[in-house]
Amino acid sequence: MRRASLDPLVVGRVVGDVLDIFVPTAELAVRYAAQKISINGGKVKPSSAEERPKVRITGSPNNYYTLVMVDPDAPSPSEPTFREWLHWLVIDIPEGSDASEGKELMAYMGPQPPIGIHRHIFAAFRQAGLMETVKGKPAERVLFSTRQFASENQPGLPVAALYFNSQKQPAGIKRR
Amino acid sequence: MASASTFSLSSLRAALPSPPCICFPNGFSPSKLKIARPKSGPRPLNSFVGLAPLLPIFSSSDSFSFEHCFPTIDNGSRFFAMRHGRKVPKLNRPPDQRKALLRGLTTQLLKYGRIKTTRARASAMRKYVDKMVTLAKDGTLHKRRQALGFVYEKQIVHALFAEVGERYGDREGGYTRIIRTLPRRGDNAPMAYIELV
Repeated sequence: MRRASLDPLVVGRVVGDVLDIFVPTAELAVRYAAQKISINGGKVKPSSAEERPKVRITGSPNNYYTLVMVDPDAPSPSEPTFREWLHWLVIDIPEGSDASEGKELMAYMGPQPPIGIHRHIFAAFRQAGLMETVKGKPAERVLFSTRQFASENQPGLPVAALYFNSQKQPAGIKRR
Repeated sequence: MASASTFSLSSLRAALPSPPCICFPNGFSPSKLKIARPKSGPRPLNSFVGLAPLLPIFSSSDSFSFEHCFPTIDNGSRFFAMRHGRKVPKLNRPPDQRKALLRGLTTQLLKYGRIKTTRARASAMRKYVDKMVTLAKDGTLHKRRQALGFVYEKQIVHALFAEVGERYGDREGGYTRIIRTLPRRGDNAPMAYIELV
């Protein structure tokens, strides 16, 4: 079977910049109030993404999942000095249920790209069990490293990933 | 896809499986498939093979026009498979406007790092962006002045000359990447993101 689900992530360099190459074994469904993220690299307006989305991870049952949302292009894609900017971190999400059932380590912050077009990446990791101690708990959002967090807290490789693009809306919002 | 005007079409159609399904839409089809959706495997078009004898009606006419093109080509895909003799992308503009457009686009790309534009423009601008990065890699005053003559904003040139060494020092060529995306809503123009590698 062609790994069609992996190709957009490789092409958009999500796999190179943020994650390592992995085999997707779970499904990630992200739905904002106004729109659903159906393709990788689609466009989402910051105004539609201010609130937490509903995120559902489906894979093998009786597992807990960790969800990470990062922006590797902060503050600007040509100079990503804050790579990666952590938007959301939730652990202990039971399989098949919404992300609100997990424990939120970093509150959700919507995309607010100041310059240019930023990628925002959702990555799901499978946990070995409930996480009692979290190593490398992030104190602030800048300069987060998804790889490092994943390798410290066991999961290692992600099981699913999804990304969308977002751009600062001009002051007079044009209808598009 | 190919307008096989010099071949006898009936023999071609007998050899090919089912003509209308071969054309792929010229979009990024893998990304449109959701993970769970099964691929439409064996095409359920055995009925078309039965229709083939009807179609040689068209093969008898010796026109070189689009009658031989299969009807499922949708907007945005090239009609012909070859690029013979096409040296310069004209972008539907006279030469002065074309140059100004490309200068503006490269300025914006160097400023923002990633921009979204039409596919034709994105693939036309690669050459100029690579040229600017090459001038910056050289670094001499003459090259800097040449870059200043092309890029519209001088801070961008100075910033580029300052940081290109550590950013692209090891990379030989290919300083941009194009990612195709969904077509634009207003005119269905095929769009793409172009970004500095």
